[in-house]
Amino acid sequence: MIEVQHLTKRYGRVTAVEDVSFRVERGEIFGFLGPNGAGKTTTMRILTGFIPATEGKAIVAGFDVFDQPIEAKRRTGYLPETPPLYPDMSVVEYLGFVAKVKGVPSAERRQRIAAVMERTRIDDVATRLCSKLSKGYRQRVGLAQAIIHNPDVLILDEPTAGLDPKQIIETRELIKELAGDHTIILSTHILPEVSQTCQRVVIINKGHVVAVDTPDNLTARLRGSETMYVQVDANGLDASGTLGGVAGVTRVAESDRRDGLVGYEVESEHGHDVRRDLARTVIGNGWGLLELRPMRMSLEEIFLSLTTEETPTPAPTAEASAPTPEGEETAHE
Amino acid sequence: MSNIVAIAQKELKSYFASPIAYIVIGMFALLYGYFYIAILAYFIRQSLQMSEFGGQGAQALNVNQALIRPLLQNVTILVLFVMPMVTMRTYAEEKRSGTIELLLTSPLTDFQIILGKFLGAMALYGIMLLVSMIHLGILFLYGRPEWKPLISAYLGLLLLGGCFISVGLFISSLTKNQIVAGMATFAVFLFLWVITWIGGFSGPTVDQLTNYLSIINHYDDFGKGVIDTTHVIYYVSFITFGLFLTAKSVDSERWRS
Repeated sequence: MIEVQHLTKRYGRVTAVEDVSFRVERGEIFGFLGPNGAGKTTTMRILTGFIPATEGKAIVAGFDVFDQPIEAKRRTGYLPETPPLYPDMSVVEYLGFVAKVKGVPSAERRQRIAAVMERTRIDDVATRLCSKLSKGYRQRVGLAQAIIHNPDVLILDEPTAGLDPKQIIETRELIKELAGDHTIILSTHILPEVSQTCQRVVIINKGHVVAVDTPDNLTARLRGSETMYVQVDANGLDASGTLGGVAGVTRVAESDRRDGLVGYEVESEHGHDVRRDLARTVIGNGWGLLELRPMRMSLEEIFLSLTTEETPTPAPTAEASAPTPEGEETAHE
Repeated sequence: MSNIVAIAQKELKSYFASPIAYIVIGMFALLYGYFYIAILAYFIRQSLQMSEFGGQGAQALNVNQALIRPLLQNVTILVLFVMPMVTMRTYAEEKRSGTIELLLTSPLTDFQIILGKFLGAMALYGIMLLVSMIHLGILFLYGRPEWKPLISAYLGLLLLGGCFISVGLFISSLTKNQIVAGMATFAVFLFLWVITWIGGFSGPTVDQLTNYLSIINHYDDFGKGVIDTTHVIYYVSFITFGLFLTAKSVDSERWRS
């Protein structure tokens, strides 16, 4: 449905996006993940035909966005970072205008407007001026505007930015509902959003694609070993040697120390659950076991390790998450 | 075509949804009304004097020559002041609020957007000129002015306003700031207005050139009731050039932004 090949965008000497390639299949929800300024918005603007690319090609719904912009735009719905509302129009007027310029035939207009208002749950503000809407409603009107011409492709730039938690959940549900009829690209810098809504993710940093995969695969691929957090009251003794002696444990590091309580991060071989043995060892030594929990590498840490170059965060899995080259390989799949 | 109409309607509606249309038309009506009264009073005094001394009565003063022509000449000055306020927001506001992203990602060509905006502003200008016709209508109740010169004068005013709007659109497309757009537009208009000032003492070539460029000199014949194709061509090419510059500016913005 969407095919991006070696896309590059330069502003003078600054390169915003370099050699970005990916494919999105029909009906998929595809996530763009990256820190602010990574090139997400630039890529989306190229896909919607708002700005041209310096090099490379982008095909949306079968049409090249540069060679046949009108055809491509007819099949694309776009919600920019700030919903493009006209403050002095009412919601209905606004949607009427958008329907006209997006080419919805006049006979269907009224019915389409009613349908999208119902779908995005904005019926109750239909006659209100856009300038008087709350942030949540503005976002939803923005979404209504994007789907009014029933486009094949929906491009949403940070659709949940600035919403309260309840609205975020509602918006995500709405996006998931829309996925059946539309192919969706959404960008975000909020990680849970990606794992909750997207089927596939591309991670972009400084204009480069770092990885393209499903959220689950990304998590799994980068988890070379498992880590437990163990807090022990060892009466002032150093427990690291003893813990290191447990079968399957590969490394023990002290992570915090408070009032005689010491917390350790214990790494073990992949697939080897050492929790029982750890507990037995601690109790067997007559120490107090205060806490024992797995430290999973969250998408957040994956993200950080993929997008930070300098070595890192005291994250326990910093070593395991090093394989950035692997990530780059998948980018060209 | 329907796209152009949709944009033009939206533009016109937004003028009336904001205070702009009311301020522009209201202020225009006030000042125009003042001009009307002042010139009418002068006209009445003149014709009274003429009937007293000359004794030739009603045929002495021509309403078109002595009243309508100077009145509409003054309208051009009002247009000079008012039009920057109409055009300054057209592009600047869309860029500032981000709605330009909606327009440029809709299946519209740049040409459709520009022409729509141009026609929207022209419509507001047309409504403003309609107000001025009310006063002239009163003259028809009490006298017998010629109506044909009026048509040429209004055609001239429309073309003159079109030039202002096309330049205003172009300048508005260069910035995100309405005030900057308004001020720059006003400065350019005024410059085109007074360009002939250096003509008088700079030799015949410069004189001819500045006379040709002066946006207001071309109006004179329209005011007299003459529709000369030279002037029509001047205004139409001026408008076309302004719209062309706007198109180039919008397109280049795309590459730079």
